[in-house]
Amino acid sequence: MEENKILFSTGSLDGLSEEIGTLVNREESRLKLTPDNADSGLAKLVLTLIELIRKLVEKQAMRRVDGGLLSDCEIERLGETLMKLEMKMEELKKHFNLTDRDLNLNLGPLGDLM
Amino acid sequence: MEKLIYSLVSVKNNREALNALLAEMKGISGGDLFVVATDEVAAVVSDIERSGFATDRSMAIEYAGLIEIMSQQFTLLPVRFGSVMESSDKILKMLERNYHDIQQNLQKVDNKCEFGLKILCDPEGIMADLKGKTEAMINTNVTPSAESKNSVYREWVNKKLHEHRLEEMMITFVDSVIAALSVSLVRLNAIHKFKKLVTAATIIDAVFLLDKEKKEILIQSVEEIEKQFPGLNFILTGPWPPYNFVEIVLK
Amino acid sequence: MYDNVIDRSKDITILELLDRVLNKGVILTGDIVISVADVDLVYLGVKLMLSSVETMEQLKAGKGIAEK
Repeated sequence: MEENKILFSTGSLDGLSEEIGTLVNREESRLKLTPDNADSGLAKLVLTLIELIRKLVEKQAMRRVDGGLLSDCEIERLGETLMKLEMKMEELKKHFNLTDRDLNLNLGPLGDLM
Repeated sequence: MEKLIYSLVSVKNNREALNALLAEMKGISGGDLFVVATDEVAAVVSDIERSGFATDRSMAIEYAGLIEIMSQQFTLLPVRFGSVMESSDKILKMLERNYHDIQQNLQKVDNKCEFGLKILCDPEGIMADLKGKTEAMINTNVTPSAESKNSVYREWVNKKLHEHRLEEMMITFVDSVIAALSVSLVRLNAIHKFKKLVTAATIIDAVFLLDKEKKEILIQSVEEIEKQFPGLNFILTGPWPPYNFVEIVLK
Repeated sequence: MYDNVIDRSKDITILELLDRVLNKGVILTGDIVISVADVDLVYLGVKLMLSSVETMEQLKAGKGIAEK
């Protein structure tokens, strides 16, 4: 393949090729369950789902706060709960040695989970 | 001997032409390329020893190169690198089983090719820009009595709220770029797929399927749109075989 | 300077191409195997899928500049 397939581009090619490199190499976070890693593999699967739901809840909460219909007291309690959830999640991630990137499943043609 | 499959080709009256082309080419690791066909669909394959089939990067590139050459003369569906079946007979059965789906996909890509467009931003620059706007918003219309209770939870909510608004504005901005693109794409009668906000920098990763002859018009259109968004970097590639527009999992 | 531009263009072309040929296109599933109800063949089929996943990872591990 000697051919150059770039038809049009703006910006530095160095930057572009670096970014495209990371894009192409992104999909390594496949779930691999083997007898040796059953523990962390399962933790990863479970935490991935929990994290997805936590983020959805947080997102929805911010929408409500932004909507301006919540009382100060409600916002306060919401903040406390969500902040504690976030901290707990950080703890769990640390415990199982997982990064944010690990907590994302590649769903093939559906794209990334998060 | 297993068979490595390269592509599924539409053959109507041109099976001879396909054979002639394949005779001039060589498959991966030097094997001859030949055809396993049923009715109007042909799988291009070569013999491969699976046990001794060590793949590497250059092999994948070579494989893609072969698909490319075939796609210049024939309507085809590219097969993902490394697809191996045990015998010609099994391939034939697979083709028969999936005949309808394959034909449908082939019809969709007939005389068309794929183009890729990635649009990148400078994440810091664009965020700084949006931040200015959201801060102005927070100061004017929301959280009037919030400052009275300055707890740590409240602060946390404010921080998250800020991130949330940035994200929403980012999405609105990306959608405006997509809307601009869509106008041209409709004119070109192109099928498109957009992925939004793939990474911090790649705000749009799009693929288009359109008539081969429309390549120049596509380039012009993209150049026009680029002028409307001077802060963004565009990269248009192609023409490619229709990798992103086959929607079959062979059974 | 000029060479660098050509190299980069080629790089990007190859990356785009690898992304397509490794991740896109017609997919064969393990179902080829299920059609033949034989334990050994099922195993073979699963192995085929796994090996293609590994292949992808190996290929991707060697990211960056590829020479022809």
